[in-house]
Amino acid sequence: MDFSDSHGIKGVHMRDYCLIYLNGLRKEVRGPETLLMLGDWLRKEAGLTGTKIVCAEGDCGACTVLRAFPKFKESPLVFEAMNSCIATVAQMDGSHLVTVEGIQRGNELSPVQKAMRECHGSQCGFCTPGFIMALSGAFEKHKQLSAKTAQNYLTGNLCRCTGYQPIIDAALATQTSSSHSLSQRYLKPDFTADLISAQTKSLLITTQTHTFFAPASLSEAVAFTNENPGFRVLGAATDFGVQTNKGKPIPKALLSLHLIPDLYEIQETPGCITVGARVPLAELRRAVSSTNPEFSKFLDLFASPQIKNVATLVGNIANASPIGDTLPFLLISDGQVHVASQGPKNGTIEKRLIPLTELYLGYKSLSLKPNEIITHVSFRPHLKNEIVRLYKSSQRKDLDISTVSGAFSLVTTQDKGIIKVQEARIALGGVAATPIRVPAAELALKQQIMTPQLFQDVAQLLANSVKPQSDLRGSQQYRKVLVKNLFKKFGDEVLRG
Amino acid sequence: MADSLHTLKDSGSASHDSSWTHVTGRSEYVDDRPLLKHELWCGLVFSPYAHAKMKTLNLNFALKVPGVVAAVTAQDVVHNHWGTIFQDQPILATEEVQYAGEVVAVLAAETKSALAEGLRAVEVKWEKLPAIKTIDEAITQKSFIGEQRTIARGNVEEALKNSPHKLKGVVQIQGADHFYLESQAAVVYPKEDGQLEVHSSTQHPTETQHVVAKACGLAFKDVVCIAKRLGGGFGGKESQAAPIAAYAALISQKTGRPARLVLTKDDDMIITGKRNPFQIHYEVGFTSEGKLMALDAQLFSDGGAYADLSTAIMERAMLHSDNAYYVAHMRVKGQVCKLNYHPHTAFRGFGGPKGVALIESIMEDIARATQKDALDIRKLNCYKPGEDTTHYGQALENNLLPGLFEKLENDCDYRARRTEIQKWNQKALLESGNPRGLSLTAVKFGISFTTKFLNQGNALVIVHTDGSVQVSTGAVEMGQGVNTRIATIVAEELGLPISSVRMMPTTTEKNANTSPTAASSGTDINGAAAQKACLEIKKRLAALALRLETIPKESWAYKTAGLGTMPEVVLGNDIETALSEVSFHNSHVQIRKTSFSIPFVELVREAYLNRISLSEYGHFRIPHLGFDKIKGQGRAFLYFTQGVAASEVEIDRWTGEVKVRRVDILMDLGRPINYGLDLGQVTGGFIQGMGWVTTENLVYNDDGFLLSHSPSTYKIPSIQDTPRIFNANLVHNDGNTVNVKGTKAVGEPPLLLCLSVWTAIRDAIMSFRGNQVIPLAIPATAERVLRALSPEDFSSL
Repeated sequence: MDFSDSHGIKGVHMRDYCLIYLNGLRKEVRGPETLLMLGDWLRKEAGLTGTKIVCAEGDCGACTVLRAFPKFKESPLVFEAMNSCIATVAQMDGSHLVTVEGIQRGNELSPVQKAMRECHGSQCGFCTPGFIMALSGAFEKHKQLSAKTAQNYLTGNLCRCTGYQPIIDAALATQTSSSHSLSQRYLKPDFTADLISAQTKSLLITTQTHTFFAPASLSEAVAFTNENPGFRVLGAATDFGVQTNKGKPIPKALLSLHLIPDLYEIQETPGCITVGARVPLAELRRAVSSTNPEFSKFLDLFASPQIKNVATLVGNIANASPIGDTLPFLLISDGQVHVASQGPKNGTIEKRLIPLTELYLGYKSLSLKPNEIITHVSFRPHLKNEIVRLYKSSQRKDLDISTVSGAFSLVTTQDKGIIKVQEARIALGGVAATPIRVPAAELALKQQIMTPQLFQDVAQLLANSVKPQSDLRGSQQYRKVLVKNLFKKFGDEVLRG
Repeated sequence: MADSLHTLKDSGSASHDSSWTHVTGRSEYVDDRPLLKHELWCGLVFSPYAHAKMKTLNLNFALKVPGVVAAVTAQDVVHNHWGTIFQDQPILATEEVQYAGEVVAVLAAETKSALAEGLRAVEVKWEKLPAIKTIDEAITQKSFIGEQRTIARGNVEEALKNSPHKLKGVVQIQGADHFYLESQAAVVYPKEDGQLEVHSSTQHPTETQHVVAKACGLAFKDVVCIAKRLGGGFGGKESQAAPIAAYAALISQKTGRPARLVLTKDDDMIITGKRNPFQIHYEVGFTSEGKLMALDAQLFSDGGAYADLSTAIMERAMLHSDNAYYVAHMRVKGQVCKLNYHPHTAFRGFGGPKGVALIESIMEDIARATQKDALDIRKLNCYKPGEDTTHYGQALENNLLPGLFEKLENDCDYRARRTEIQKWNQKALLESGNPRGLSLTAVKFGISFTTKFLNQGNALVIVHTDGSVQVSTGAVEMGQGVNTRIATIVAEELGLPISSVRMMPTTTEKNANTSPTAASSGTDINGAAAQKACLEIKKRLAALALRLETIPKESWAYKTAGLGTMPEVVLGNDIETALSEVSFHNSHVQIRKTSFSIPFVELVREAYLNRISLSEYGHFRIPHLGFDKIKGQGRAFLYFTQGVAASEVEIDRWTGEVKVRRVDILMDLGRPINYGLDLGQVTGGFIQGMGWVTTENLVYNDDGFLLSHSPSTYKIPSIQDTPRIFNANLVHNDGNTVNVKGTKAVGEPPLLLCLSVWTAIRDAIMSFRGNQVIPLAIPATAERVLRALSPEDFSSL
């Protein structure tokens, strides 16, 4: 098909449909349907009502489905859990999806389903399909689960009936073999080849009211942003989905970068790790486990598996929330974003780097030009003589928005048993309109000998230097105390060794 | 006593009767009903302010949005008042709204996106009015719902005067959202001649039917309400499902089209009421040993803007302020206050948890005052022979409390752990470690509706000629497993496998004039009614079996009925006596004396051919009840479900975050009909309660609008919050003879054991601060905990 003159995209051959496989069946989805949330589409258009919508904001997991996406780097291709309530059908282009209806084989329940029945893991049943899917995803990677692993896979699923114990029991009682593998059952090589081949072509969906464009190259992307002011980039769009579900109108021009191969890369050069805009956090967590172990560990507390399997670091940055969980880490790790826009001539790309410390202008406001998009983010690995700790305090330990978060880094020298701070970096979230660094506190630590008193003093200095707001997560006073105490806790841990 | 209690073992329990369809995603909920061609999507327009005058409501722009079809406002409602106890609440508010979230209009559109656009186009002009937002303000302004009630025994003033030790205090308790996963939902189909078929996610189909009928100006006969299953209820759909169904019904009636209203989680949380917040003032007198002498308590609750069930909830709070403990001189006063919030409503435990919070908190206080272990204070005051009449004059029967305390104390290794925790805390104080706490609390939960007439149930049992059975009752299945339990009762009565029994959707055309599925009573009243119906069918079948024994098989009706060659079997007085001679077992009916046995299915076929009814409608009334609400005296409950729990917690001293390390629960559920389902109620109820006392924080803005209205801001426990060690056990008890099958109700009681988590947090805080008495509000949020643990951190800022 040829779309000329529309949206700044000229004379390019492209697709006008999203290609997905759903429980092993090929689907081409066209037109306005593609802008429905996947969960709504499954329930109302595809007639698969097993998937449930509860919160419509990715916080309860009732809508969990499994997705295998060939562009992700994990090999072999594997099904992973995601929330269907906050992703549009269009974003699923190129995916193989399995819903709860695709788990059973004829009249035979899967081992997970059997165990959930027998262990009374289901009461009212409304959360059950989500748990079945999240657990089925876990068993795509494990033959058996420990209680801890099961809990980690199920952090993103809420149940209000069982108290979870029967679900943990079911996870422990489940044993699978390769004959139960959904990958083997659904990921036929020719299906996957079909998906991959479609993905080489740009995708353009136009409805009476909206345009969704997914270019296969960055130059097409920047051409589109030039011609469509007010465009919105859909990464994993985990926040966009929430806003849309809560009644906010969908922007007229939507840009998805999911067909651009470069953006799935993580590059490691000496002193620098560069992460593409489409790298999911789950993969990032694995990739930085040796270079930035503290960050890798921290990602466990951050969001749910369903979110981490799709959401990206660039998305967290672009969302610009003062409590974005990765931002304090990036602020102490010399984080910078790579942005791109169209150069002076069509088909050219202009790139620049913005240090993270200069990215945020105010609440949810970025120092990007209207036509610029973020393509990558880079940061440095932890140094050998660097102590890094990341803290997050929230009402509920897991999958909760921070009240206050802190990232503390001390580069130290040791001389005759005396440890001195050579350089300090302190970043805080939840205490201002944007995540911040606190230079005064950093200066106060510099060249000082590490003593309990030093941490006490700097903790007090930190508390005095912030003016957080009171909101539903905590009062101003509480936030100040948290800032102080998180730093004291840091000191306590550091001094204990 | 301890040696008399034994742990009950699971002898294999049937899975939930919907478990197959649950795990395969094939269970049908309201919003899973296929969309019909002309069906409309409904959405609600509601107030953003706690108290306001609606100056104008302009729906013109909304109605011009393509796809928007209709709207209804107060003018369209025929009878615009509803309310379970007092009819004080409008279905749709007219000129003035009393709470943020109060609905003023319903909009209907052909698509979801048109509805969203239509809702954005609605224009309402509000004039804010002064709102009452705290219980203290309500007390000062005498903004009350109903009269103050008192339940008293003895002479409290005198006894307090004579008490060597006294403590005064205030307990502050916030509400909690039900957070049923399936939000409120209804689909209404218009039927011929003005009738409406209502599919509702309701715990009370009868009330929903009635409210819909009145709102639409129809006779009850013209509205059928069906509740197939609920994705959770927990009390939140007892009363408040009714107006939601009415909104859809009004649209359906106005347009003649099917109408669907499925609330988003946000709208649901903003609009619907919560667990009632309470503020309790008390004075307690006790001896140096810690024996309670007198308790004087004044309970105030925040009822929200309308009465809903708040007066009944207050009554249950007053009836549970003793919990497991005997107080010789006791006076409890209760007053519901009217505030400008969503009308608060039933939530698992009703008022019970609030009354119990009071006395369990007092136990901890007395322990500090007397420098004893709180468990010893509890055991000293526990109801026991000689001290076994409640403050409302009901004698305890089959009281297992002393034994439960003893057994759990041993089973969970309480004493050794206490010593260890004391050591740990001493060390923590010195070395900036995290304080730990341990507390063992009890529950004695009264089973029966305190409103006598609600204690009735009915059931329709239909035996089909293939020997399979359909059962319809007034009970609503919302996950608790009531259908599985009733099916088990029916299967056992008829001697059939449970697979022969199908539980039918709850519908007002089969079971009318029903009570809500609430007060943990679902199985008790509906199961007993089904059992009664089975007995009547069995009587007839037994009499028939005795007759058939005397007739050669070739002369039975299945050989001859079509021909009319043999006389029909006509049953007479033998119906009343036959049953004792016959047993129903293993899908066979057997005459005990002669061992004559006939397959159930053959007997049923013979019954039909001999024109003997195979269906029966059973009606059951709970016996023995007699509680005078005005005097506050009498037998309020048929029996009590009892239990104990020990919780251990650790507090992050830097942030106030709490981790529940270990929980041990022991409950008496009589003879469980289904051990596995009952245990699921225990663990589920406990964790649900744990959320209420820890992380679930309802936060309102200055306009009284709920800010924490979705799971991103309202934190119910996640799977990571389950205790690291979690033991839940039942004890063997054959002594509850007053209830069906000797079982005890389980729905609500375990929730109240969550208070052990709250008292354990207090224990940690108080032991960290030199054993002073330190109050702690519910929920014990991280901020509240840190403020209690290190107030100097906050003052030094």
